[in-house]
Amino acid sequence: MSERTEKYYDMAISLSKFYGGKIQVIPKVPVRSLDDFSIWYTPGVAGVSNTIAKDPDKSFELTSRWNTIAIITNGTRVLGLGNIGPEAALPVMEGKAMIFKYLGGVDAFPLVVRAKTKEEVADVAERVSPAFGGINLEDIAQPDCFYLLDRLRETLDIPVWHDDQLGTAAATLAGLVNALKVVGKKLSDVKIVMFGAGAANIAGARLIMAAGGDPKKIILIDSKGALYSEREDMDKLQLVHPWKYELALKTNGEKVAGGLDEAIVGADVLIAASTPGPGVVKKEQVKKMAKDAIVFAEANPVPEIWPWEAKEAGARIVATGRSDFPNQINNSLVFPAVFRGTLDVRAKKILDEMVITAALELAKFAEERGLSEEYIIPTMEEWEVYPRVATAVGLKAIEMGLARIKLSKDEIYDRAYKMIRLSRDTLATLVKNNLISPVPAE
Amino acid sequence: MTNSVSIRAAKNEDLERMVDLVSRLKRLNGEFDPLLTPVDDLENEVTKYLQGMMKDSNSVVLVLEDGGKVQGVLTAKLVDRCFYKPRLVGQIADVYLMPEYRRRSMGYKLIAEAEKLLKSRGAEMIFAEFPAKNVIAEGFYRKMGFREITEIFAKETQ
Repeated sequence: MSERTEKYYDMAISLSKFYGGKIQVIPKVPVRSLDDFSIWYTPGVAGVSNTIAKDPDKSFELTSRWNTIAIITNGTRVLGLGNIGPEAALPVMEGKAMIFKYLGGVDAFPLVVRAKTKEEVADVAERVSPAFGGINLEDIAQPDCFYLLDRLRETLDIPVWHDDQLGTAAATLAGLVNALKVVGKKLSDVKIVMFGAGAANIAGARLIMAAGGDPKKIILIDSKGALYSEREDMDKLQLVHPWKYELALKTNGEKVAGGLDEAIVGADVLIAASTPGPGVVKKEQVKKMAKDAIVFAEANPVPEIWPWEAKEAGARIVATGRSDFPNQINNSLVFPAVFRGTLDVRAKKILDEMVITAALELAKFAEERGLSEEYIIPTMEEWEVYPRVATAVGLKAIEMGLARIKLSKDEIYDRAYKMIRLSRDTLATLVKNNLISPVPAE
Repeated sequence: MTNSVSIRAAKNEDLERMVDLVSRLKRLNGEFDPLLTPVDDLENEVTKYLQGMMKDSNSVVLVLEDGGKVQGVLTAKLVDRCFYKPRLVGQIADVYLMPEYRRRSMGYKLIAEAEKLLKSRGAEMIFAEFPAKNVIAEGFYRKMGFREITEIFAKETQ
């Protein structure tokens, strides 16, 4: 562990203790006197309950449900830490909730559950869904995470998201679309090697294909090598990992066997979402790629190959998961905005088409500011990107008939802009007035 | 690829590929139950087994071929049940299709062809055996009108 990482560990532990966690519930109504309780609580509240009992969808108007989501995890794959259990996952979910609020104005509630099986997690999500306008699945091991997203998309009528799949995949697609514009290649023409077949790349492959990528020219590589329809373990995959099995059938038209050395020959794009580097992807491998190669090395904290190494080996555009290098493939660009947009139109689902819309809007935002080899995707500092992406997603939900309410483009944008602005201003005001203590000096 | 698919009797030159396919099937069975773990020299045993089947006049060995390459295999044999009527029945022993040839009705065509051949040799019933936990196989046979008639229970000796 680097010295810098260690410093952040120490700060996070002492400050978590100082603040007693990272989020709290604050009323959103004034309490002028205790008489107001007759409005906010009994007897007045019974009138609200009666109204909702007649029409459950009214819960989106008369309660906080419209802006509240659950962050659900069983703690089976937390960050790079593995299966550390629900309690240990809680600080991560609190952090996620804080980001949801700060970047998206979304009230997110961390719900860590003790659940052994995927069915138990699904059951919890289904049973708590009446309290929420959406569900964000987080840090759940594969292949259970695929089962959960598929099942809950089907059974629930609120948006369901799994960030390790969709967030990273959408940011990757956005970066890829722009990188291809910079080098002047077309998505449907390029050969794409996806190194690592975890949640991000499996969802990434699905989105890239849906966005126009040629399945035959995509090769996924897992720990056993390149996926293809005749690989020895196909029968086992069909039983235990049907998502990977389907991709093995669709992709790798040339049936390239072997590993990255074999697959990368002549590839235009490498998307590595595997294990932390450096040296997981080697310079010699990048050298075998086509001219104007695009390399995404997304592992954290250390990318599969250092950006300068990839460039020395001939890559023209390099992206990583880190904020201290150009082109950060960052899921925090996506999830706050996607939920902002879907919540504002009270969407019933987040389907892949909406995720692609989010990715393309993200790409368009960067394009309008001027693409270059060092700028293919917006940064978190450009916060106007959030209402923009929220608007695109909200409109897409309306177009697909998945929205409970129909708003115009301007209405969605204004709402999203105000919600995010309000969230930031509220926090700034609380800090300014010392209602949230300043960070103590070391 | 569909137009060029044909089902025919196996030939000696198909052996190597058939060994691969039948070995894959036996390995798949091993995924369902530790008591179906394949032997270490599986390919060798499968080779001998298939050679025996191909010589045996009471056996049926079919392959599904596409563009000159074997992509599926079926083996079956005539069995005299001696105690039950009908006595002469066809036992389907192995059915395996490469993944790209699944869910395209080709398995049904293979079974139908085997059924026809077994019937022409006097079989009045056909049956198949597969791992109890293989729900994909169970669904496949049920769809074609098969149903369970016996159960095989197993335990390791103590």
